[in-house]
Amino acid sequence: MAIDSVTEGDVSTRAIALGADPGAKKRGPKNWRPLLLLIPAFVIVSLFFLAPLADVFVRSVTDPQPGLQNYQWLFSTPGNLNVVMRTFGTAILVTFVCLLLAYPYAYLMTIVSDRTRNMMQLFIMMPLWTSILVRTLAWMVLLQDTGPINSILAAWFDIGPIPLIRTTFGVALGMSQVLLPFMVLPLYSSMAKIDKRLLPAASNLGANPVTAFFTVYLPLSKPGIFSGGVTVFILGLGFYIIPALLGSSKEIMISAMIQQQISVFLMWGQGTALGIFLLACTILILVVVSRFNKSGSLFPGVDR
Amino acid sequence: MATLKTPKTRKLLALAAGAAALALTLAGCSGSSEPKAAPKHDLGTPVAGQIKEGALDGVTLTFAGSGGVFQDGQTKALWDPFAKASGATVNQDAFDAGKLKAMVDSGNVSWDIVNTTQFDTARGCGTLYEEYDYSKVDTSKVPKGTITDKCMVPQILYGLVVVYNTDKFGDNPPKSAADFFDTKKFPGKRTVSQSTYVDPQTVEFALTAQGKDVKNLKPEDINGAFDMYKDLGDNVIGWTTGAQAQQQLEAGEAVMGLVWSGRGYGAASAGAHVAPMWDQWMIMVDSNGIPKGVKDKDAAFAAVNYSIGAEQQAKMTELTSYGGVNTDAKPKMDATLTEWMTTEHLDTGISPNVDFWVKNYDALAAAWAGWATGN
Repeated sequence: MAIDSVTEGDVSTRAIALGADPGAKKRGPKNWRPLLLLIPAFVIVSLFFLAPLADVFVRSVTDPQPGLQNYQWLFSTPGNLNVVMRTFGTAILVTFVCLLLAYPYAYLMTIVSDRTRNMMQLFIMMPLWTSILVRTLAWMVLLQDTGPINSILAAWFDIGPIPLIRTTFGVALGMSQVLLPFMVLPLYSSMAKIDKRLLPAASNLGANPVTAFFTVYLPLSKPGIFSGGVTVFILGLGFYIIPALLGSSKEIMISAMIQQQISVFLMWGQGTALGIFLLACTILILVVVSRFNKSGSLFPGVDR
Repeated sequence: MATLKTPKTRKLLALAAGAAALALTLAGCSGSSEPKAAPKHDLGTPVAGQIKEGALDGVTLTFAGSGGVFQDGQTKALWDPFAKASGATVNQDAFDAGKLKAMVDSGNVSWDIVNTTQFDTARGCGTLYEEYDYSKVDTSKVPKGTITDKCMVPQILYGLVVVYNTDKFGDNPPKSAADFFDTKKFPGKRTVSQSTYVDPQTVEFALTAQGKDVKNLKPEDINGAFDMYKDLGDNVIGWTTGAQAQQQLEAGEAVMGLVWSGRGYGAASAGAHVAPMWDQWMIMVDSNGIPKGVKDKDAAFAAVNYSIGAEQQAKMTELTSYGGVNTDAKPKMDATLTEWMTTEHLDTGISPNVDFWVKNYDALAAAWAGWATGN
């Protein structure tokens, strides 16, 4: 599982960063040598990540002239904050929808036979192998006023057309379908580690199934909820094509605004200010959310 | 990072940082080096659609277009034959104004000819685009009024046209821009551009409906135009891509649309019951722009000169359904294509007020940004 291997990778990097293998307690003065292994990664990260990010930040305070005018523009144009709020609102909504759908699905995956589990995994992975554009066009056809869903509603129940496309509902639906695998996979990997005997044990001690779920199972699956939630939320913030095709102008998200500033207006200062603001908000939200995770880690699932 | 204390480690890190900085500097330097002096070509007096055989042997040119069926058609009708005749190699790429700015700013221009709008070349003339030397391009057959600034030769002639559903309005079709906004006489949903790309013609269309003359616009008219669309309320739906506009018309979801002529034709030839309204349509022209700092201006001029020949333009029209920019071009057209061909209806088209929009671009951009994001 992709997510799981990333997690494990982080753990081992961390062990190296501490300058010792996980078992050793002693930190002798010679233990800096493993740090040399970090140099290639450090160079790559500075060249391809830190340097461009610094460039983006510098641009946001120097283009077209030095000063904070780009941030001033960002906060003083009423429409901008609307779009920012809408972007975070949509990402949060999609995260909850994915969680509600993925949780029972991932749980089922832990109790079925190997063959069924493989099938279930295939169903989750298959959409990932199909172009987002193709899937979005399919949703467009299904959801439009003259599409199959509204035709059936009209023919069988004599209602409609119900607005499905060009609504928040349509955008959330399309985005949830794309992002669902990123929720199911970490959830499954954390649920698979939960000892199956804990629930019978809880009911032996007098807990009804609901209590057992909320006091035993749910807390144990929390690492999966956090890593899935954070992944879906962050990916959701950057969506561009689905809001453009399944939404109206009232569902357009911040990525479209950045594209407009950069590619249409050629106002790079304003575009980069939007990007930095989005990044800052994301980090802030991550810090706040990580407080709810027991370990307090920014990357849930790593520390345990 | 607690163990980062020995001097050796620091040295190594400093070295790594130094190497990174050096690499960045080198990357920056190679970008800003002066282009080599362009080789002289023996091109003779330009005649549209002609080039001396092998005159550009060994030259490589890159055309950045808008993609899709349109660019495929341009490649087949214009650039492949040009490459064959001149000996040049012509590469294809996708145009993006932001990318162009990045290229020009860094002095590392890898495009030679770009397909952009007449507003883009007018706004960026001299800063993002090279001025044309019109003695090197034969523009004698280019339709009058389509050269709207010094940095452009037209690429195609198309339009923003009202396309309506003939099942709904076949007997009583809309006949004016005002009819488009009249939901009592013509009930149903209309689709209008709400893409992030600023479209002055969409604004001019609303102002035409108010009875204003686009030759005589005032900055305070701009917001009034957007109010016209907003007042349509639930009756207006947006399109963000040309393909989406066509799809909404084909599905019958929009009974009327203000769409690119090529997309209306696309819907009609796919079997949708739609027809164009040629009263008060908005003329649009795409530019052949030459990026500022291009390595071989003369070769780029020669390519543009070749591409606007009558034969080339006729073939381009046949392949893309967009109007050619040579008055001698005689494309073979079936009945449907003739019905949708902008160049057959130039007398009822309205030309944009390019100067006004270049001068008032910031006001337009701010209003358009609000329109495109639902504010």
